[in-house]
Amino acid sequence: MRAEPDRRQRLLQLAAGAAFLAIAAVVVLIVINSSNGSGGDTKIEGVAEVNRLLNGIPQEGLFLGNFKKGVPVELIEYGDLQCPVCKGYAEEILPPIIEGPVKRGEAALEFRNYAIIGPQSLPAGAAAIAAGEQGRGWYFLELFYRNQGEENSGYADDAFLKALAKAAGVKDMKKWNSDRAQLTDYVEHTTQRAEQLGFEGTPTFATAHPTSPDLKVLGTPGSTGALEDAIKEAAEETGAG
Amino acid sequence: MNFPSEWTLRRAIAFVAALGVGVATYIAIADSGGGAPTCLAGGSGCETVANSSYSHLLGINVAVFGIVGYVLLLASAFVVSDAARLGGFVVALGGFGFSVYLTYIEIFKIEAICEWCVASAVLMTILFLLNATRLIGYAGTEAVVPGES
Repeated sequence: MRAEPDRRQRLLQLAAGAAFLAIAAVVVLIVINSSNGSGGDTKIEGVAEVNRLLNGIPQEGLFLGNFKKGVPVELIEYGDLQCPVCKGYAEEILPPIIEGPVKRGEAALEFRNYAIIGPQSLPAGAAAIAAGEQGRGWYFLELFYRNQGEENSGYADDAFLKALAKAAGVKDMKKWNSDRAQLTDYVEHTTQRAEQLGFEGTPTFATAHPTSPDLKVLGTPGSTGALEDAIKEAAEETGAG
Repeated sequence: MNFPSEWTLRRAIAFVAALGVGVATYIAIADSGGGAPTCLAGGSGCETVANSSYSHLLGINVAVFGIVGYVLLLASAFVVSDAARLGGFVVALGGFGFSVYLTYIEIFKIEAICEWCVASAVLMTILFLLNATRLIGYAGTEAVVPGES
């Protein structure tokens, strides 16, 4: 083995330079990310918390739960993504329901848009359904509430919705974008339905048997316990309790 | 300092890089169908990581970058020259740095661990050490064919 000292030294200097650059690049990436909130290239907060909450629960559209295995009860929330009370429910009241009856397969949750707060509620609701088309609907809903701004302050613009969709794990942003443009009609439809049912505000909850169109309106129960009782009662009525 | 022979190092690099191609290809294929790699030890860490916004860079799954890196490292193991030694080191260094960054993201941002990503990070760390040893031990030397030295 014959070494050429000058060439060898030059190569090792190049390698040391590359190593220095690599260390600097990794440090810069980590610093940028640590000051960026949980959403990576966005400032969306609560991604890890939402991932923990929803991990392993099947989703389809804005349904959350093992509905394919025949969940006996459906708990339906008519809500507006801009509604601060709905945010409170998403953060405080509903997580134990998701961790309990939904994960145990005793109930499924469904979100239906009742877009009444302001003009941005409609595109926001359509964006959530479009995320649901890719199995990320509940990630979108939960992240929306955790990043909600002041009612009708204009925060729920396109950039905000796109950042949320990315943080929610929507993979095909092009599809999401074209889907949401066509889904505002559906948000209007569920909103009209809520008005026909005489709902007076958001959130309004109802229980239903998955095979029946009839809803049992609960109003706005003020605690997790009240919602759990309603689920049990509905299960007993269907003979599953 | 006694280094393993370059022949041995190249064989080890080729073996580990081939494993890396397998792991990264599995992650990329599992993700391309809209799904996620299956965690062999159970749990849903792989699904969480695969579905996070960090799993894609410029719209491309990061596993695809992994495949490219492992293929380059595999190729570098078949060539005996200073360009291959330095090239292998630089690619392994980049892969190792990226693995450190992704592991940080898994632990502190996504708060979920995907065992396939960990496997890839371990393979890339081994490749970095092997390529660094190859470069330090044999930079500026001529090729030695086993049996002729």
